[in-house]
Amino acid sequence: MTRHRAARRRVLAAILIVLSVGLLTFYFREPANGPVHRAQDAGLRLLAPLQSGTARAIKPFRDGWNWTAELFRARSENARLQKEVDALRNSVTQLQALQEQNAELTGLVGLKNQGIYPKGCRLVAARVIASSPTAWYSTVTISAGSAQGVKLYDAVVNDQGLVGRVTAVTSDAAEVTLITDQSSYVDAMVLVPHGRSPLGILAGSVTGDLSLQYVDKAAQVSPGELVATSGMKGSIFVRGIPIGVVTSVAQQDVELYQSISVKPFVDFHTLDLVMVVER
Amino acid sequence: MARRRPPGPAEHPHVGLEVVRLSVLLVATVLLQTTITPNIRILGANPDFMLVIVAAVGLLRGAEIGALFGFAGGALVALALFQPPGVVALALIIVGYLAGRYAETSDLSSGLAPLITVFAASIVASVVLTVAQFLLGREAPVWFVATRVILPVTVLNTLLAAPIFIVTKWWLGGRVERSSEVD
Repeated sequence: MTRHRAARRRVLAAILIVLSVGLLTFYFREPANGPVHRAQDAGLRLLAPLQSGTARAIKPFRDGWNWTAELFRARSENARLQKEVDALRNSVTQLQALQEQNAELTGLVGLKNQGIYPKGCRLVAARVIASSPTAWYSTVTISAGSAQGVKLYDAVVNDQGLVGRVTAVTSDAAEVTLITDQSSYVDAMVLVPHGRSPLGILAGSVTGDLSLQYVDKAAQVSPGELVATSGMKGSIFVRGIPIGVVTSVAQQDVELYQSISVKPFVDFHTLDLVMVVER
Repeated sequence: MARRRPPGPAEHPHVGLEVVRLSVLLVATVLLQTTITPNIRILGANPDFMLVIVAAVGLLRGAEIGALFGFAGGALVALALFQPPGVVALALIIVGYLAGRYAETSDLSSGLAPLITVFAASIVASVVLTVAQFLLGREAPVWFVATRVILPVTVLNTLLAAPIFIVTKWWLGGRVERSSEVD
């Protein structure tokens, strides 16, 4: 009886482990509308309303927790923000001058000023209802899906700047991969006061740091300069969405490119309301 | 060789009620893990409520139910977060199974069992997840994994072990299954 029970226990554990590995294998090998993905879709249809309700219910507690945590960081944050304000004030002045020049030139060639988002673009508001709790994935689940017009690879922004892009969609929810995720790559540019804006690729990492890669060593980039999406041809991000600010620039003789660190404008720990830019 | 026997036959809860309680606990844990846990950052990391509760279920209900609960919990969390199913489930199966075996073969009267179990389970699960993520192509510096993932998560989980075990024991009825075997 004891031996039988021990054997049953081991067989059950082995079956569950094989099932886990099998699920993982099928998930990666099957197409987007395969059985495992469809099961995920069905399960999310049941879970998403519960997650949405829970997210709303805990919002006061979460805001209280964040407020308390921020009290401890207030003094150092104040000093840091004051420096950032000074740097940004300089940038704004320079950008205003560029904007006036741009308006004059576009008027000359007869182009219409469409703003950051092209005409015909629709912004769909959504709430973050779940987040990945581990460092391995920087993703959130939002309360808008294909029923609201959200499509794969739509850009996601909030009032602070670029948040990420949609990487999975169900009828009522969508997964957003944040720009800090290891698998995220965004075409970006550094807004410099003079000359052409250096272009690069903004990459996330497991540590949550952002780095602007493939920027030519000859490009003049300084800490404090703004980084925005470059909107290159074929990019899913339109030009000019604010991303962050350069915090450090390093060069090594043996490297072909500069090593640039970027601090994002968006506070990913307190994400709540976002907007999906529907193309 | 004398076999060690439990003090008396434990009464097993009604199967239907047991399934309902475990199901409610499972859904509540998934919601806790996906909506509340990401907002709790201490020492730069988030606690893992799912792991702690799987360990508690394993301690209270044995290896088989612990492994099943771990599989279901891991699969549901991955499903809720659009992550590949199977990675977290694999780690939690091991946690639930080993916690159950520990409960079935050891004396749990000291009260430290939940803390010891969760401490060991956190390290084991973190290592399993790190290896799995590496095989899936997600890399991270070793110093980051050791200091920002394994260490703070283990500390946080261990701190939560006692209160969560008490709540889980209350919800499931507090009966502990003991095997009559000695390995």
